[in-house]
Amino acid sequence: MNPEPIIAPSMWEKPDRSTTAGEAIATPSLTYWQDVRQRLWANKPAVISIGFIVVLILAAIFGPLISPFSYFEQNLRLSNIPPVFETYRVSDDTGNNTRFFLNASNFNLYQVSEGGQVEGLLRGGRKDILKKRQGFEFGNTDIVLDYSSRPARLLRADGTTLRPEGWQWNMTYVFGTDQLGRDVLVRQLYGARISLLVAFVATLVNFFIGIFYGGIAGYIGGKTDAVMMRIVEIISTIPLMLYVILLMVVLNSGLISIVVAIGSVFWVDMARMVRGQILTLKQQDYVAAARTMGAGTGRILTRHLLPNSIGPILVTLTMLIPSAIFIESFMSFIGLGVTPPMASWGTLTSEAVETMRAYPHQLFFPAAAISLTMFAFNFLGDGLRDALDPRMRR
Amino acid sequence: MSRPPILSVRNLRTSFFAQRGEVQAVRGVSFDVAPGEILGIVGESGSGKSITCMSILRLLKSTGRIVDGQAIFDGQDLMELDENAMADLRGNDIGMIFQDPMTSLNPTLSVGEQVVETIIRHRRISRAEARKRAIELFELVRIPSAAQRLKSFPHEFSGGMRQRVMIAMALSCDPKLLIADEPTTALDVTIQRQILLLLKQLQNRLGMAVILITHDLGVIAEVTDRIVVMYGGMVMEQGSVTELFAHPRHPYTQGLLRSVPDLRDGEHTRLTPIAGTPPDMIQPPPGCPFAPRCVHAMKQCDIAIPPLYPMAEASDQTARCWLHHAQAPRVAGVNAPTAEVA
Amino acid sequence: MAGYVLQRLGQMLLTLLAIATLTFFLMHAIPGGPFVSERMLAPEIATALNDKFGLNDPIWLQYLNYLRGILTFDLGPSFRYPGVTVNEMIADGLPVTLRTGVLAVICVVALGVPMGIVAALNRNKWPDTAVMMLATIGVAIPSYVIATILLYVFALRLGWVPTFGLDDWRGYILPVFALSGFWISFVARLARSSLLETFEQDYMTTARAKGLRPGQVLFKHGLRNSLIPVVTVLGPVVANLITGSFVIEQIFALPGIGRHFVLSITNRDYTAIMGITIFYAALLMVMILIVDLLYVWLDPRIKLRKTAQ
Repeated sequence: MNPEPIIAPSMWEKPDRSTTAGEAIATPSLTYWQDVRQRLWANKPAVISIGFIVVLILAAIFGPLISPFSYFEQNLRLSNIPPVFETYRVSDDTGNNTRFFLNASNFNLYQVSEGGQVEGLLRGGRKDILKKRQGFEFGNTDIVLDYSSRPARLLRADGTTLRPEGWQWNMTYVFGTDQLGRDVLVRQLYGARISLLVAFVATLVNFFIGIFYGGIAGYIGGKTDAVMMRIVEIISTIPLMLYVILLMVVLNSGLISIVVAIGSVFWVDMARMVRGQILTLKQQDYVAAARTMGAGTGRILTRHLLPNSIGPILVTLTMLIPSAIFIESFMSFIGLGVTPPMASWGTLTSEAVETMRAYPHQLFFPAAAISLTMFAFNFLGDGLRDALDPRMRR
Repeated sequence: MSRPPILSVRNLRTSFFAQRGEVQAVRGVSFDVAPGEILGIVGESGSGKSITCMSILRLLKSTGRIVDGQAIFDGQDLMELDENAMADLRGNDIGMIFQDPMTSLNPTLSVGEQVVETIIRHRRISRAEARKRAIELFELVRIPSAAQRLKSFPHEFSGGMRQRVMIAMALSCDPKLLIADEPTTALDVTIQRQILLLLKQLQNRLGMAVILITHDLGVIAEVTDRIVVMYGGMVMEQGSVTELFAHPRHPYTQGLLRSVPDLRDGEHTRLTPIAGTPPDMIQPPPGCPFAPRCVHAMKQCDIAIPPLYPMAEASDQTARCWLHHAQAPRVAGVNAPTAEVA
Repeated sequence: MAGYVLQRLGQMLLTLLAIATLTFFLMHAIPGGPFVSERMLAPEIATALNDKFGLNDPIWLQYLNYLRGILTFDLGPSFRYPGVTVNEMIADGLPVTLRTGVLAVICVVALGVPMGIVAALNRNKWPDTAVMMLATIGVAIPSYVIATILLYVFALRLGWVPTFGLDDWRGYILPVFALSGFWISFVARLARSSLLETFEQDYMTTARAKGLRPGQVLFKHGLRNSLIPVVTVLGPVVANLITGSFVIEQIFALPGIGRHFVLSITNRDYTAIMGITIFYAALLMVMILIVDLLYVWLDPRIKLRKTAQ
């Protein structure tokens, strides 16, 4: 036995229990939605995604209004201009400076201002097709463009090579121009407009059909449910993309057709989800408890069923938007989407694929735009799901 | 105890490292298990009783870590063994049964396969022999038409039958020690008794030692030889069943006993629940973990954890309470074994 | 089991009928479509169409003719190319599409599942982060963007692989990877989360408590159970690989069914669109049936549910 410690007699008195109840609640209790918001804000990728989406929407709405160019205005003399280029400088005897750049893919020279504005195509002498040379005159200075070997070179009269003076951002066409000389940036923004419009409208249509269909099936249940779900099963057996393609073939390409086609097909997931939610929630003990306490159908629906299924519905919606964007661009890519001169990210990408070898910048921007948007919606959807998941709740 | 213990747990400490901080689930637990005895570990949920046993077998989930302590089994410290040696020992020398037979069996493998794989893992015998052994085991735990049932899947069994499968599996290699973690909690009341009696009979027949974890004092009273009462990750009191039930020497044990209905008392006795909630194990109280809920609490209880005091009257009983300090005031029922429980 | 397969086959036929009917009436609604007798068409095609569908017959007779064609695996003549039947078009493209498709499915399983396992086993360590980053990229970027980027980088810039055609094995690398990229990522994510969930299951603790070796615990107890959700998505994977192939075959100029399909769409070759749609649907349903059978084999609980219905 260990030696007994000596303990002051006062220690054997009753402790003072008035202040410390021992059950102090550490964290203030939050409502469900406050909790959700807090968790969502803590999720950095989701927050950044929200920011990106907001900026994108604003740019899509206001960008084309501010831009000096329009999405359909063509300028064939300034086609396929890159967003960055290497400039050259030539001075003539009167001291006039000419700054210009060489488009290495179509062998044209374009004059550039000191500020980086593209001012126009430089007129040269006749092209010598056999020798692959073309002369240019700057006052009394002659420059020869030699494109017989790659990369093309600019030669002075004495045969020395003209050196570029440095890189310059294209200040007129920030993203460059496409093969018809249209501003890529404004088409990009306009494409965002179309893509987002299609996505949001189609998602909304899906949302209403899905909620309606799934809600009815789930709430009525029984035979009605069985028949309705069998129909959904049949529809979802073959890839929904095939239906969209068939519908587009029938309806002919165009903005409205694609909204109708996507909207009328992609509701099955939503319907299934809503039905599943309603079915499980109907069997929850708290619904039974509410019913026992005399709550009516309306109250159960509005107070118990809807608030509890709003989370999964929201997540499904967020996930539907990127897939609608994807399908629209996919359809446009295979030539069933919006018709020219209208642009969407899909048509922009598919146009750019044709000129990919020479002008990769035309591919880069729509590809980046659609990828970033898909990222944003995916992250947002993931974030929402994590924030809403009641299993993660303490 | 005359014979040397088969398992001797010394000062075991286990913590879980969560985002909110270190959860000290087990805080210095020591006890012995003698060969052939049934030791009951009682305590409410969160008292650390399951974690103690999971720590002995080193089966903690990824966030859990054994911080300190020993578990000497058959002369070896289990905490020192490498993972291979530990795996050789699990299911072979120490069998384990879990609380929920619904989730503890793999739903996609036949029950026969789940027993057979255990036998093949530890014994050098053919699959056919292992099957024969599995049938014997199923008969041992009284699963009807054992040979046919080998091919069945867990979902084709009732809860009680599943727990019998679990027991067969745990016993398949004749373990020296069987750890049963709340083996009856998830079952119907009528089935609970059957399983308990089965366990008791098997223990008698096979002579292994058993650790039975439960929060059900009725179960304890029925089958165990000795009891360890746990609270707040510590042993509060231990002793033989007869002594502990007759003369509980710790206010917590007394509270536990008072909160169990006893039909023999007649219809007028009132059940007395223990007021309050178990302590937060991230910031456990510096003193006795039970002090905030204890009716006899003193200032001393809030500042220091009491040692386990041996009882003079009962050879094998110890209680962790300051009231057993030589200078402490005497409280009827806690200090005097013969006094009426207040 | 046999009863279940029969029941499923019956369901398949019913679904196919529904799809065929829908396609027929959609095509019928098109002005200048295949079921209108007055059009400017090559006389050879007009005669072939008339022979096949009896364009002056009442609509229900045309419908029945069309259904009979499907049941006898005769999808009719092309609407654009004289003397060519839809059957020939499919037969022409099928080998290429099947080869890339099967390779893509193999990639999905052989890369996606191990990636998921590695990530789950190294949860929150660098292999997990790396896999999840790759998978997020793969899930977010559309297949045709991946395809064009791959084409640009590896074929045009680096010249490691041909830009088009399937003359040697290197021609398959980019199309197969572009086709399977999304699903590799998807399966990796799914396998990871499914495994992590399985690790938390009680029966995994039981398996360890029985003294099974870590490999046994992981592969026999963990993997089988966590693969069930992966197998369920394999049906949709096949479906989406097929639609994905439309664009991939287009970008890499592969002479598969998908290219025929897209060409038919741009040419408004209505009978070919119809025929290929039906063929796709049938192919898919067979695939989904196979996946479902695999599923029943993996998860014995399913059997009971089906027979109980």
